Parts: sequence; structure tokens; C-alpha cells
Amino acid sequence: MYTLLSGLWKYTFQKDEYCILILGLDNAGKTTFLEQTKTKFTKNHKGMNLNKITTTVGLNIGKIDVGGARLMFWDLGGQEELQSLWDKYYAESHGIIYIVDSVDKERLQESKVAYDKMLQSEHLNTVPLLILANKQDISGCLSVLDIKRVFHDSSTKIGSRDCMIRPVSALTGQGVNEGIEWMVKCVQSNPYRPPRQKAIT
Amino acid sequence: MGSVFSSLFSSLFGQRERRILILGLDGAGKTTILYKLQVGEVVTTIPTIGFNVETLTYKNLKFQVWDLGGQTSIRPYWRCYYSNTDAIIYVVDSMDKDRMSTSKQELVSMLEEEELKKAILVVFANKQDLDGALTETEVAKELGLAAIKDRKWQIFKTSAVKSIGLETAMDWLVTAVQSQ
Repeated sequence: MYTLLSGLWKYTFQKDEYCILILGLDNAGKTTFLEQTKTKFTKNHKGMNLNKITTTVGLNIGKIDVGGARLMFWDLGGQEELQSLWDKYYAESHGIIYIVDSVDKERLQESKVAYDKMLQSEHLNTVPLLILANKQDISGCLSVLDIKRVFHDSSTKIGSRDCMIRPVSALTGQGVNEGIEWMVKCVQSNPYRPPRQKAIT
Repeated sequence: MGSVFSSLFSSLFGQRERRILILGLDGAGKTTILYKLQVGEVVTTIPTIGFNVETLTYKNLKFQVWDLGGQTSIRPYWRCYYSNTDAIIYVVDSMDKDRMSTSKQELVSMLEEEELKKAILVVFANKQDLDGALTETEVAKELGLAAIKDRKWQIFKTSAVKSIGLETAMDWLVTAVQSQ
């Protein structure tokens, strides 16, 4: 009887929790993306003023509930010297969102280098990967196709994982929902990394 | 009746005072930072035995800032001040490489406290005006900040004496506390 009741309790009050890592170079728009996501998926969320966001030298976190899942976001600083902190989070991540600044053509190659380095980590095997071509609201930006072309030669390293590249504008919010929904579907169907169970608080 | 109105008034127009703790080992520069923030001047300090508490207003936000003494013998008393804390400013002497691990231990055990679960962490890599100071990334590594997974944190390089970085850090803190 106890098992039945506690099972029912768990069934109704626990959600599967997935950790999503948001990576990319500095000024790619990671924190803006996180804030926009929080605003879109949380009722009555009093978001940060998106224009007030400054460089992250540390960690921002966010939690949202989508469908039956709870996503926990880790948004890390993207400056070169901070990239050495990224791998501390790999082992516990269920999904990666890699954000590319579609306007900054000069640093695209640099972004690619950081991306390749990230893909090399074996702690990230099988983890779904979403590449977002951000800042699509600015005219003259690179298209998804352009960015795909640059990132394409890493495709052999992608291995057996779900991978997707999408256009997005973190500032206007365009494309954010679609990206998150794709991510939720993928982390839920990834058998290699089961969610952590957390009671809803 | 008057009290009803005044409490109604303050709930409508008043801002709740945010509570901030300044912590760190002795000699890290906590008191200097507190008074630099409050009066804008570098004051001569002596080691704090006990605490200093000041209210300061920054960008229309009222802060109650507690600066607790950092010596080994009085660190156990930090926990008496933990409840209702909105943010922790953890000050590190970036020159003091020998005691980084002590600083890390204190930080880790402090963050385990239930009462500080919701508090934002801001680390000040202080004394950046001195040659040979560790960079903020090095301090972050020494302190093992990457092990923090459930709390918003940020590190700034500061020099209370030369007033480097304090304003940037406080700006960030104001935004972070407001969107908490």
C-alpha cells in the first residue's frame, strides 16, 4: 500500500530533470537566450532587461518546465580563458546548446575551434546538440546555410547523437520556442543519459 | 491606523532592503570594500573582530551590508548571519596564493548551508592593483567555482584601493538581485 501511494506521489509530483549546457563564444548571446527562454516558458516571469545584460564571468542558471520535463540551464562565460571551465559541466549535461553569433564573421573560425574542442570530449558522447545561429534579426547576418557550411567538416565527430542547426534571435525571441521544444524531445528520447529525478519544489 | 497606512505605503512604494554578506579570509579587504562602496573613500582599517554593518543605496536599491571578521577563530560565527541573505560577496586576496585552498574550503562549507541556498554568489578577486596577482580565471579555478551547479555566480577582478571593478560588480549585483 505504501509503495502504491508513494509511487502515485512520485508520479504526480516528480518531474524528470535534464541539465542543458549553453555554450559559445563571449558575446554570442547565451545569457540573452537564457533570459528569453525563461521569459517565454515561465508564467509571470519578471525577466531581466535584455539590454542590461553584461559579460558573464561565471554561471547563470535557469529552470523551466516544458511538458513533463524540467530543464535546468547552465549558461557559462564564453571568454577564451573561461572555456577551460566548460568541461567541468560535461559529465552531468543532458543536452548542449551551442550559440553562434551570425554577425561576427571574423570570429566564426574561433567559434568553430571552440566547438571542435568541445566535441572531442568523451563526456559528451551521445548528448544531443543544438547549434543556434543567433542574431538573425540583424540584417546582413550569415544564414543558417553559411554557418552549416563552416561547421560541416566536424560532422564526422558528431557520432551517434541528435544534432540540429537552427536560426534564432535571442533578442526578439524568434525561433526560441522551436529550439527548446526540439531539445526537450531529444533529451527525453536519449536512452544513454537518463534524467535526474527531482521532487518539485 | 497610522501603522496600517505606513505599512501599506511601504509595500506599495518601498523597496525591501536587500541583505548582503561580505565574507572572506582575514586580510582579503572586506572592510575596505564596504567603506569604499559606502563613502567612496579608502579608509584605514584594522582587522575586524566582530562585524561592521552599513546600509547603502546603489541605483535606487537599498542594501544592508554585513562585513564579518575573517580570522580563523571567528569564522564559525559567520553562520549566525546567514538567514535571509540575498547575495554573498566573497572576497579573495588574489596575491595570497598560499591560502587559496583555505579560502576554497571556507567557501565550499559556507555554500553547503541550507540558509544560503538561494543566495547569489559574487566573488571579488581583490588586490588586482598589485603585481603578480592571480587573474580572475585563475582565482576561479583555485576556488573550484566550476563545481557550483545550482547557483548563479560571477567573479570580478577588483581593487578596493584603486577602485577597479567595484562599480561593474555592483551594477551586475543590482541587476542580478532584482531579477532574483
